[in-house]
Amino acid sequence: MNRRAFFNWSVAGLAAVWSAVGIAVGAVARFLVPSVFYEPPQNFKIGNPGDYSFGAPTLLPDEKIFVFRDQEKGFAVASAVCTHLGCTVQWFASDDRFHCPCHGSIFTANGEVAHGPAPRGLEWFEVTQARDGQLRVDKSRVVPASYRLVVKA
Amino acid sequence: MENRTPQVFFALSLIVLALLMGAIFQASSPAWKAYQHQFYRLEAQQEPTAAAKESVMNGAVSIRQILLPGLQRVDRCTTCHLGVDDPTMAKAPQPFTYHPNVGPHLVARFGCTICHGGQGLAVDKTNAHGRVAFWSQPLLTKDYVRASCGRCHKEGDVPGVPELAEGRRLFETHGCRGCHKLNGVGGSIGPDLTEEGANHRQPEWLKRHFLDPNSLSPSSPMPNFHFTDEQARALTFFMLSLTSEQMGAYYSSVRVIPSPELGRKLFAEKNCITCHSVGGVGGRTDSPDLAGVTRRHSIGWLDEQLVNPEMISPGSLMPAYELGSNERKALIGFLNVATAEDAMQMLTGRPKALNPEAALIEAGKQNFSRFGCVGCHGLEVQGGVPNPNSQGGEVPSLVHVADDYTKVEVAKIIRNGKMPPLADAKKPAPPLYMPAWKQMLTDEEISRIVEYLWSLQPKKEAAW
Amino acid sequence: MISISEVYRSIVRRDPLSTEKGKAELVFLNLWLHIHPVKVKKENFRIRHTWYLGFITFYLFLILVGTGVALMFYYRPYPAQAYQDMKDLQFVVFMGSFLRNVHRWAAHGMVICVILHLCRVFYTASYKKPRQFNWVVGVVLLLLTLGLSFTGYLLPWDQLAFWAITVGTNIGGYAPLLGAKIKEVLLGGHNVAEGALIRFYVLHVVVLPALVVLFTMLHFWRIRKDGGLSRPVWKLEEETTTEGLVQIGSAAASPPRNESVSAASNDKTYGLMEVVTGSPLFETVATEQVDEEVFSFPFAFYREAIAFLITLVSVMAISLAWSAPLEEIANPAKTPNPAKAPWYFLGLQELVSHSAFVGGVLAPTLMVLLLLAVPYLDSNPSRRPAARKWAIWIFTAFMLVNFVLIIVGTYFRGPGWALTPPWVHVAGHE
Repeated sequence: MNRRAFFNWSVAGLAAVWSAVGIAVGAVARFLVPSVFYEPPQNFKIGNPGDYSFGAPTLLPDEKIFVFRDQEKGFAVASAVCTHLGCTVQWFASDDRFHCPCHGSIFTANGEVAHGPAPRGLEWFEVTQARDGQLRVDKSRVVPASYRLVVKA
Repeated sequence: MENRTPQVFFALSLIVLALLMGAIFQASSPAWKAYQHQFYRLEAQQEPTAAAKESVMNGAVSIRQILLPGLQRVDRCTTCHLGVDDPTMAKAPQPFTYHPNVGPHLVARFGCTICHGGQGLAVDKTNAHGRVAFWSQPLLTKDYVRASCGRCHKEGDVPGVPELAEGRRLFETHGCRGCHKLNGVGGSIGPDLTEEGANHRQPEWLKRHFLDPNSLSPSSPMPNFHFTDEQARALTFFMLSLTSEQMGAYYSSVRVIPSPELGRKLFAEKNCITCHSVGGVGGRTDSPDLAGVTRRHSIGWLDEQLVNPEMISPGSLMPAYELGSNERKALIGFLNVATAEDAMQMLTGRPKALNPEAALIEAGKQNFSRFGCVGCHGLEVQGGVPNPNSQGGEVPSLVHVADDYTKVEVAKIIRNGKMPPLADAKKPAPPLYMPAWKQMLTDEEISRIVEYLWSLQPKKEAAW
Repeated sequence: MISISEVYRSIVRRDPLSTEKGKAELVFLNLWLHIHPVKVKKENFRIRHTWYLGFITFYLFLILVGTGVALMFYYRPYPAQAYQDMKDLQFVVFMGSFLRNVHRWAAHGMVICVILHLCRVFYTASYKKPRQFNWVVGVVLLLLTLGLSFTGYLLPWDQLAFWAITVGTNIGGYAPLLGAKIKEVLLGGHNVAEGALIRFYVLHVVVLPALVVLFTMLHFWRIRKDGGLSRPVWKLEEETTTEGLVQIGSAAASPPRNESVSAASNDKTYGLMEVVTGSPLFETVATEQVDEEVFSFPFAFYREAIAFLITLVSVMAISLAWSAPLEEIANPAKTPNPAKAPWYFLGLQELVSHSAFVGGVLAPTLMVLLLLAVPYLDSNPSRRPAARKWAIWIFTAFMLVNFVLIIVGTYFRGPGWALTPPWVHVAGHE
């Protein structure tokens, strides 16, 4: 074959090889992204509305959330993880605030920082009602502090 | 070759590209994605507004898994079985159908495979349902699913699964332990059954083996016990429940089912009637009567009382029984319904005390059954189980053993075992033999069995 | 702004490939490519001379390293996790099953190709002077390849893996004096358990690949120093004398009658080396015909690339069609009947079943020692097949015996290691 043909075929071959390489790199990148997480789920059920009392929030220590239930306004779920360095905060009914035992951060009932080294307020998570009536929390969806879920009794 | 080298190179690189695309395509289009889209369509139908429908249709398409470190497994069944905990899906087609009647066994806490079998790690139907080579726990058919209850609830009855109790009973009374070890006790003629539920998880095979052992194991000396279909089924349930599960603390703590029947059994076992009367029957005057006690005290108080009586009622003589939380629940459940009749039954229902001699013989009889001797020597000790090439051709009856042996000789045979004498020295040894029980039975237990065997004889004037 | 051509020129500094100088520089100035000579002899690149088996073995190694590293992102070498990770790779990792299959089939391919390569080198007598030591390096690479395959075999932690390695380490344990100790070091204990798994993993992923890389470098270096690929056997048939490299100053350096030293040839590959070191270490005692030489680029590179693509296509196609096996999780309490070593050790296992000493000690030791000694045992300098009939027959018999033993071990041994024809399926209620 003449030089021109040789050259053209070579270019075509190289183009095919490099595109294969490019696609392979993309496949490897997708390969490295995990498809399952060996962690507790972000989206989980926390029981029936009737399980939760009014007034002081209920701490779920394993899921690290507070569940608020208000007579008129309904349910709200806040993170119990201090935004400073990750300790679990406690609710003190005496001053209606969250206190962090580690470095003294204090959060208001709305989750805003009242005092202390914490840089940000506590997050509020979306809570919805699943089809079997249970409450479902989705930690991957952050909502404003004013969010409430009103549950039909 | 030279002239065409670049073309060959080009062609080959196209083939590489094609194969690569093939591999990527294969990996990108698993069946579960289609199922999830289908499910979202179903869900969207229930939504009132177009916006809500839209939001449901855009739901995440991803593998769902339930991590169960306490049960040492990971279940990904909910990747396709998305409607399992959604009552509105009761009429939906599989795999989306709602799972009714899970009771306390929430899907998020228990997963699926612990009851249903299957391969939780897989996400395609064939592999996940586990009916593949090298997966020993395939999906159980609807018939046999409830056998899995016995995997955790190993003691006591399971409400709704009478087959388990029946299977256990049949096992103990038909002398299976004579040939098969279970939890360390039993003979070595047949295989150890302690893990039978893990080793042979095919219900049909197990049932058929009970009905006719030789049809599936041609050279097996296991006799045909002529079980009925129901009995074989019950025994199969029992076999399927024989797995050893290593469970986390939560699961171990809820193993015992807190039924009032269990409560009654515990009440009798612990002899509460000795101190506490119920409805005026039994007990002593210095301990409170327990009829209606659940209306006078809260359940929490009663529970604490059972755990630590001294703390709740200072000065109390009531001992602290070491009962698990479900056992306490069961007791309280019983007390809720206990009446004077129950107390009466407990006091009078006790078997009459036997004289020492009769007690020894009765103990021997119990041992003879419990350790499986009846399996070969028969329920009436009549022998008759075929044993090819042994003298007589079958396992001997022991009814007249006192005629041919002394008590010492019989005890020795039980302790050390015995190979049956051959009918034809040139033919192979008989498959059944008397195992040595000295590792498993104490001398006490052996002498009681001997007394029992002697009692089968019509009374004779025998001096030995 | 930035000149693209300046950037390009800072990276690619050679002359254009359309020029002869450019073609030479592409090889000579390139880190990855300069193991090649600038020019090669066309005849040496004929397919039926080497079947490119050495190249293919090396390519399979590269494929194994690539897929192996990818698999390492998901595989944890501990009994509690290993099997589950294999299942995850099969079911939930994107292209996990494809990568695992490629790794498995390429591994078997590499063992087969390294053996075939050994056969080819033997049959073409390419181990003769001055290539003797390179043969020894090759045998070392063969043993390292078997080691890699054996250590990798355990990692899935299924019944197949567990019992194959139990059998394999037991065969090794028969060695006198050191056998028990070596077994203890390999297993980190007396049985195959978590100690064995982590040790095999480290060997498989770090130690043995590093050794393979080092010895491969030596192997390729030696090929260059020994004068490149050997001449094909059919070329030797056409000549009356033998070809060879001789050390300057040796008796044979003075050329025999019908030959002439072609030191003055302009396309001799050592020309550039002469410029650098002064005088070549070896001198080609050339024959009457001067073989046609061409630039490595593009001739040799194209052929190597095609060999690589064929290897890749084969492995990928096989991986799409057939899945590597994964049996039940390893269960030390349940021995499969029969329990078999990996296929390349089945010949030894067959021998062991007759005599532990012969199969476990005598045969493997003799095989390795004899293989290593081949170039020194065979002092006949001729490479022509007609002149080495004995060598060829002995070697062929040796390979055939091994082959037969492996076939018997694979297909004709059933439960209890009894002779069972392959069509008799052992009934089990599995």
